Amino acid sequence: MKTKQDFPNINERTAQGLSPEGTPYRVLVVDDSMFVTKQISQILTSEGFDVVGTAANGQEGLEKYKELFPNVDLVTMDITMPTMDGVTALEKIREFDGNACVVMISALGKQDLVKKSLMAGAKNYIVKPLDRKKVLERILMSLKQ
Amino acid sequence: MRVEYINPFVEAAYNVLKEVLNTEVHRGELYLKSTSMPVLGVAAIVGLAGDVEGRVLFDMTRQTAIQVASTMLAGMEMEPISDLNDMGKASITELANMITGQAVTKLHNLGFKFDLTPPALFTGENMEVTDADVEALIVPMELPQGKLEINVAIRERA
Repeated sequence: MKTKQDFPNINERTAQGLSPEGTPYRVLVVDDSMFVTKQISQILTSEGFDVVGTAANGQEGLEKYKELFPNVDLVTMDITMPTMDGVTALEKIREFDGNACVVMISALGKQDLVKKSLMAGAKNYIVKPLDRKKVLERILMSLKQ
Repeated sequence: MRVEYINPFVEAAYNVLKEVLNTEVHRGELYLKSTSMPVLGVAAIVGLAGDVEGRVLFDMTRQTAIQVASTMLAGMEMEPISDLNDMGKASITELANMITGQAVTKLHNLGFKFDLTPPALFTGENMEVTDADVEALIVPMELPQGKLEINVAIRERA
């Protein structure tokens, strides 16, 4: 059936979560709050991203990253987490993979840690409360850099 | 207690609740309590330590907590909850996180330096909270989901 050709749709657009090759971007979500993990995953999967893993602290996130590598395109990293915080995990991930694309997720009031993360190689940051537009915008911007 | 400590929490709660729950929020009359007081049933507590010290409670009934969490989850296309399960508790904790995060930024901008503890959630019936030597100011917030009380007991470090 040639539905698309028969009825061209001016509203048609490609899902934002697809790379130029048409494959989904693969994301690892690291956050100690299951609420935030779910929220980010929902926003991303609805745009065609593939959430390939989640982790509840920096240590777990680092291990997951090594396990998934090189089949992971981006990490969302919470800053305040038990066991290993997000800034340390970022540093260790960048040590392991100098090209790692990490976006920090921060509560307001952590400007110093956000600055430290950017100096340590984080591509971008998103301040909570999270909304769909903000999350997609920052993540796509980081992937296209 | 100086009002300048409480205003940032009231403003932050108003902004965050409005944005996250996508609803109208009405601020009730502020009142003061200096002795033990009952807690409504679900209370997220955040501690502060530094130039100022004390704690902030976000206090609501179990039913209100379930409604608030359900609204937050609906925003993520998730089913409402009928009991305060792990996801419900994580939602309320995250709400407390967002409000205190915003309030602390305002207080830091006013020149107060202090650290926060991660929020802890208390649930149960017939609970009371007692603050030695600190008055607690309470700001009720009326939501379609029920009443949420912001209960702030902060003092300057001696």
